[in-house]
Amino acid sequence: MGQLVKVGGYVSTLFNKLVYGDKEVRILVLGLDGAGKTTILYRMQIGEVVSTIPTIGFNVETVTYKNIKFQVWDLGGQTSIRPYWRCYYANTDAVIYVVDSSDRDRIGTSRDELMSMLNEEELRGAALLVLANKQDMKGAMSAAEVSEALGLPRLKNRQWTIFKTNALKGEGLNDGMDWLVNAIKGSK
Amino acid sequence: MMNAAIQTNIARLQVMKAKVLAALRKGENYELKTELNSEYKERRKEAVRRVIANMTVGKDVSGLFTDVLKNMHTDDLEIKKLIYLYLINYAKTQPDLVILAINTFVKDAEDSNPLIRALAIRTMGCLHVQEVLDYLCDPLRKCLKDANPYVRKTAVMCVAKVFNLNAESAEENGFVEGVRAALSDSNTMVVSNAVSALAEMNDMAPQRKVWKLEPQSVSKLLTAINECVEWGQIAILEALSDYTPKDEKEAENICERLLPRLQHANGSVVLTTVRLLLMYEKFVRRADLLAQFAKKMVPPLVTLLSSEPEIQYVALRNINIILQRHPRLLSKEIRVFFCRYNDPIYVKYEKLDVLVRICSERNTEPLLNELKEYAKEVDADFVHRAIQAISRLAICYESAATKAIAVLTELLETKVDHVVQDVIAAAAEILRRYPGKFESAIPTLCEYMDYAIEPHAKSSLVWVLGEYSEHINNVHNLLSTCIDSFIEEEDAGVQLAIINSAVKFFIKQPQRGQVLVLNALKTATEKCANPDVRDRAYIYWRLMSADPNAARAVVLAEKPPVELENVDLSPALLQELVSELGCVSSVLQKSEKLFVYKRTEKAGVPRDSDALGSAQPGDLDGDALGASATDNGSGMAGGMNTTTNEGEPELLISF
Repeated sequence: MGQLVKVGGYVSTLFNKLVYGDKEVRILVLGLDGAGKTTILYRMQIGEVVSTIPTIGFNVETVTYKNIKFQVWDLGGQTSIRPYWRCYYANTDAVIYVVDSSDRDRIGTSRDELMSMLNEEELRGAALLVLANKQDMKGAMSAAEVSEALGLPRLKNRQWTIFKTNALKGEGLNDGMDWLVNAIKGSK
Repeated sequence: MMNAAIQTNIARLQVMKAKVLAALRKGENYELKTELNSEYKERRKEAVRRVIANMTVGKDVSGLFTDVLKNMHTDDLEIKKLIYLYLINYAKTQPDLVILAINTFVKDAEDSNPLIRALAIRTMGCLHVQEVLDYLCDPLRKCLKDANPYVRKTAVMCVAKVFNLNAESAEENGFVEGVRAALSDSNTMVVSNAVSALAEMNDMAPQRKVWKLEPQSVSKLLTAINECVEWGQIAILEALSDYTPKDEKEAENICERLLPRLQHANGSVVLTTVRLLLMYEKFVRRADLLAQFAKKMVPPLVTLLSSEPEIQYVALRNINIILQRHPRLLSKEIRVFFCRYNDPIYVKYEKLDVLVRICSERNTEPLLNELKEYAKEVDADFVHRAIQAISRLAICYESAATKAIAVLTELLETKVDHVVQDVIAAAAEILRRYPGKFESAIPTLCEYMDYAIEPHAKSSLVWVLGEYSEHINNVHNLLSTCIDSFIEEEDAGVQLAIINSAVKFFIKQPQRGQVLVLNALKTATEKCANPDVRDRAYIYWRLMSADPNAARAVVLAEKPPVELENVDLSPALLQELVSELGCVSSVLQKSEKLFVYKRTEKAGVPRDSDALGSAQPGDLDGDALGASATDNGSGMAGGMNTTTNEGEPELLISF
C-alpha cells in the first residue's frame, strides 16, 4: 500500500515537473553583516570570488549541486534589514547561517539573531548548516568555539551541523553542501 | 490493496479540496501570496502576471509587496518589467520595504544589457522615495557616463526626478552639472532629453537658476534638432524660444535654420516653431526676411487642418492667436476654413471665428454665400453664430452690406423660427450701421413681425418700426398691435422698445401718433408692474408735455455708430499666449497661471513667479517601460505638447 501511495506522490511530482519545470530547493543564507554571505553564494554558484558591496536587500541565485537545484537566497545582514528576514522564511528547506569567526565582539548578537530565527514556526522543519567562516583570519574561533558560543549543542528537534570555512579559498563549502544534500534527501 | 490506494488518493483529493476552499476563504491575495512563493518558476511567473493584472484594474495588491519583490531578481525581462511597474505603483505606500529592492536595482544598473541598465535607473527615479536616493547616487553617476546613449538619456531624465525629490542632493552630487555636460553629447537623443530635463528643473525651482541657454550651446542644439524625434525637437524649440540672441545676425540664423521644422508632420513641432518665429520677430529687423518667415508659416498651418478633428481644433485655436498678431497672414487661404458638413461642432465654431477674422474686403462675397449655407443648417447655435458672422461682416465692410442684406432677406424666407429671430436682430444692426441705405428692406422685415418671438428679435423689430416709421405704410397698425399686447409682454426690454418706438412715431408724425402714444404711455404707467418701464414712460410723458422741442432733440438725437464687439484678446494676454503657442493655455486662451498650480502652492492661489515658463512639455521619457532604445516617445505624436509628467504627479490641470 505504501508503495502505491508513493506512486501517487510520484505522479503528482511528475505532473508538476511537466507543467511547471523543476522543483527548487529553497535555502536561506543568513548571518550578521560582513560575515561573507554574498561571497559564499557566488563561490557556490560560479566558483569564483566576486567583489561585493554590502547587500541592501537580497541576492538570489540558482545553484545546481549533485543534480539538485538549489534556490539560494542571500539576505542582507545589516541591522536595518534583519527584521525583514522573516518575509523570506516561507517554504524554506534549509538555512545556512554564516558566522564571522574572527568577530568575537558580535558573536553574542549573532547567537541572538539565530535563536530568534529558529523559533519561527515557518522554519520548524528547516535544516541548519552553520558555517564558521573567515578561518583564514588571525584569532579566528574554532568550529567548536563558535558552536558553543552560538549555543548549538542545546538545540532540540533540529537537524544541524557546523563546518569551518574559508570562502575566499572555497575551503569547507563542499563539505557543507554535501551535508545539506543528505539532510534534505533524508527529510524528504 | 487497490482499494486502499484509491482511498488514499481520495483522501489526498479531499485534503487538496480543503486547501483550495481555505484559500478561497482567505481571498485571492492569499492565493497569490502562496503562488508567488511557489517552488516552481513558472507558477511564480504566472502569479506575478496576475498580480499586475489585478493592479491595473485597480485592486489593492499592496499587501503582496515583499512577495512580489522576492521575484524581481530574475533573468526574465518580462517579469522584471512587470515587477518594476508594481514597485513604481506601490513604493510610496511601503517606503521601508523598498530597501529590500535596492540590491537588485544596483545590480541591474550594472547589467550587460543596456535596456536593463536603463530600466533600473529609470525605475529607481520613478519610485520617488527618499530612502532610495542614497543608493541611487552611485549607479546614476555611472549611467550618466554609460557607453550606451539610451542609458545616458534615461540617466539624464532621472536627474530631473532626483532634483524633484531633493534639489540640493542633485546639485551636490554633480548630477545637474552632468546634465549640462550632456548638452554636448554626441547623441541627439541625449541632447534633447538633457534640454528637456534642464527646462523641467528650471521650472521646478526657478530660484536656483539651474540653467540658462548659452550662445555656445545654441549651434549644437540647432544641429541636434534635425535628427531628434518630435518630442526632442519640441524641447529644443522651447529652450530656444526662451533664449535671447546676442545680435540680429544670430536671430536671423536661428530662424532660418529652424524653418525646415515647419514641415514636420507633428502639429506640436509646427506650432512651437511658429511660436519661436513670432517671438524672434522682435530681434529680426529685415522686413524681407520677416515676410519670408510669415509666408513659410502658412502652408504648415493649412496642412494641420487636414488632420484629425482634435488636432484641427488645437490648430484653429492657435491660428486664432496667430491671426491677432498677423491679421492678413491667411487671407488667401479662406477656403480652407470653410466648414465641412461632417466637421465636429467645436471645429465649426472655431472655423467660423477664424473665417470672420481673416476675411478681407475682397473675399466677403464667397464668405457670405458660405455663411448663408451655414445658416440653413440644423444646429441652432451654429446658425446663430453664422448669422452673427454675417452681420459682423456687413458692419465691418460697407461693400459687403448690400450682399449681407440680400442674404438675410433670403434667409427670412426660410421662415425657420430660430433663423428668423437672429436675422431680424442682425438686420436691425446693419440698418443702424448704414442709415439711409437699406430702407427698401424694411417692409420685408416688417412682414415677419408675427415671427419675432424672442425678446432680442422682437425689440429689434420694434426699434425698426419707430426708427423707420416713415418707410412703413402700416406702421400705425403694427405699433397698435404691440401696444395692445403690451401687458402680456414678458420682457421689459421689449416693453421699453415699444414705448420708445411709440414716442418716436409720435414725434415724427404727431397727428397720426397722438392717440397711439397716449395709449402706450397710459398703459405703461398705469398697468405695468415693472418700475423701470413705468419710470421711462413718465419721463417721456413729462418731457413731451414740458418741451416738445427738447423731446425731439432727445428722442431723435444722433446715435453713436454701431461698434463691433471686441473679440480680441488683451495685448498682455496675447503676448503671453504667443509665447505659449502650442500649449494648453493657447487652446484654452487663458493664462497658464489660472489653471496650473505648482506642488508647493495651494490650488487656487496663482503662482507669482514670472510667466516665462510655459506649461511644461512632458517627460521625454514618457515611453512605457518596454520601450526600446530607438523609440523614445515617437508613437505619441499628439497635437499638444503639454502632458503632466510622472515626476510631478501633483501638478494640477483644471479647466
